[in-house]
Amino acid sequence: MKFLKFFGLWIASCGLVVLVACNNQAPSTSTSQNTSAASTAPTEQATHADMGHSKRININAAILSELDKLEAKLGVPALSNKIQASRPYGKVEELVSKNVITQAQFDQIKDMVTIEDIQLTGEAKDVDYMVKLSLMKGHMMVAKELLDLGKPDQAEPHIGHPVEEIYADVEDQLNERNVKAFKNELIALQDRVKAGAKDANKTAEEYKASMQSIDGAIAALPETQHKDHDFVLQVINGLLDTANSEYTSAIADGKVKEAIEYQDSRGFVMYADELYKGIANQIQKEYPDSHKKIIAMMADLLKVWPTAIPPQQSVKTPEEVGTLIKQIETETKKAS
Amino acid sequence: MGIDPASKTVDIKQPLFNRRQLLQAGLLLGAAGGATIGLSQLWRSRGRSATVTIPPLPQEAMHHGSGISPLKILREFDYGTVTQENGRTVREFRVEAQTGELQLNKSTKFITWNLNGRVPGPTFRATEGDRIRVIFYNKAGHSHSLHFHGTHPAAMDGVKPVRNGNVFIYEFDAEPYGVHLYHCHVAPVTRHIGKGLYGMFIIDPPQPRPPADEMVLIMAGYDTNNDNKNELYAFNGLPHAYMHQPIPIQQNQLIRLYVLNLIEFDPVATFHLHANLFRVNPTGRLLEPSYETDVITMGTAERHILEFSFKETGKFMFHPHQDAIAEAGCMGYFDVISGLPS
Ligand SMILES: [Cu+2]
Repeated sequence: MKFLKFFGLWIASCGLVVLVACNNQAPSTSTSQNTSAASTAPTEQATHADMGHSKRININAAILSELDKLEAKLGVPALSNKIQASRPYGKVEELVSKNVITQAQFDQIKDMVTIEDIQLTGEAKDVDYMVKLSLMKGHMMVAKELLDLGKPDQAEPHIGHPVEEIYADVEDQLNERNVKAFKNELIALQDRVKAGAKDANKTAEEYKASMQSIDGAIAALPETQHKDHDFVLQVINGLLDTANSEYTSAIADGKVKEAIEYQDSRGFVMYADELYKGIANQIQKEYPDSHKKIIAMMADLLKVWPTAIPPQQSVKTPEEVGTLIKQIETETKKAS
Repeated sequence: MGIDPASKTVDIKQPLFNRRQLLQAGLLLGAAGGATIGLSQLWRSRGRSATVTIPPLPQEAMHHGSGISPLKILREFDYGTVTQENGRTVREFRVEAQTGELQLNKSTKFITWNLNGRVPGPTFRATEGDRIRVIFYNKAGHSHSLHFHGTHPAAMDGVKPVRNGNVFIYEFDAEPYGVHLYHCHVAPVTRHIGKGLYGMFIIDPPQPRPPADEMVLIMAGYDTNNDNKNELYAFNGLPHAYMHQPIPIQQNQLIRLYVLNLIEFDPVATFHLHANLFRVNPTGRLLEPSYETDVITMGTAERHILEFSFKETGKFMFHPHQDAIAEAGCMGYFDVISGLPS
């Protein structure tokens, strides 16, 4: 049974973004139903017939540089962005029904695309891994600020987020990359902070251990990636995009209503800025114009989060922050 | 989709009666012309009129922040996009997790995490045995997920976080029939549910339940200041909505409420109906309601089908009998309008 095989594969690999069970294969009990009169469109069968290819581009999850392969194949300018903007896709055929491309164009690329669970490979996989760890870093950075301010209650959610929201998603990649598991360290720190972080030395020690583990996981990426500005810019965009959504979740009526989301977005932007500093020299050399703009806009962006404890009045509206982040992303694309 | 609230009398959105049932219904209607049928008799009888009368809704309905009215949410069922794949009915639902403001009352604006711009999320509805496909797109910043009650394989359990900007497609068979729910299952779950990531999931039995004016009522709490206590409560997302705009229903008509208690922090809430008793169908797992009461206790995530009709016209309250909860927003009225002969 293809369904079961497919399923087993999924369970074995698990670190996946999208899973679609093979639609026409009901779990064992109802297969006998399939003989009924209702007809199945031939396209459906074609789709299911060649399920399970792993080299395909997942149009729901792929990053822009992956989608660029489709753009190049069809020679349609800005197609990658268009594909991204029309997400999500329930079937690959929706590329046509959502007017992203024509049927003729679809016929040319239909063997390259999927919406099924695929093992990300190459650069796309590394970017995905690095974004997850960078989000962890952002959470931890803002947690540290709050611990230093003597606010363990406010630090607690940010200590919790890496393990509650991200770790499960990165776990398999850690195994694959031979990174020592560090879930228990994160949980231990969370428990300590939950209990009030009374022993400052022990808290600092456990914080340091957690941070070192995350840094160690980041270090598992090849040195070439760390130095590749194109790669780092993609990670920065991943961080800024999430910061944008979080900031929107924080502000109502021009006021910071949700400290947690304000702080999350602060952490992500701070770490994005740190990552940019690491490649700034290269960008400055190769794309001086973009570099100037990015530096100026990042500085402007950082002003939105003056302190870890949110200000009463928000510095910029979510719309303004969104525009700024979009502009930075546009410049980073020019520079990649 | 579902019932068009603008028209006065509409066919109920129930999948296909078989011929036998239609015959029974016709017979019963004929016999009932002018005659008096006791309510309990009406309830027990198998056949029934296939039309349900929904009184007109006020033009200026109260709105959620994004233009969604609790009076509409009440009777709105999302049956998904239906296709046949290899002889099976597949229902495809699209859900987007978003962030948005909700004006809870004059002085409180609350930032929600919501599904398709509404709190509660869409009421998904399927028939037992359908294949369900939910395309879940997270655009709400944090990692979120959709965990469905009912049965499904472990990989579809929705406890794995879906990161911001990612898509996950949940696919499983709709079973067993009954009233279920779905919600985000990312920790701290109280916060993720409290901010609006939940909705009802109704699975109809293969033989449809008798026609009725069907409504969804979800009780939920709002922790507006993050102190792990609820400051406000609501039916279907907006505090006091059905106090300000009572729900119009027809006299002597079978009302079927799908009621869910999704109040976090408070362990239980009851549901109480004034001046009447309702018949209880626990978790919707029976084909007929089993007993009568006027107050039922529900722990968090408990849900039932309640059936009743009103003999008298006028306004009748419903609310949890924890009056503090009721007074903080979880309270409403049915406005019984004269209509069907009694
Ligand atoms: Cu959530």
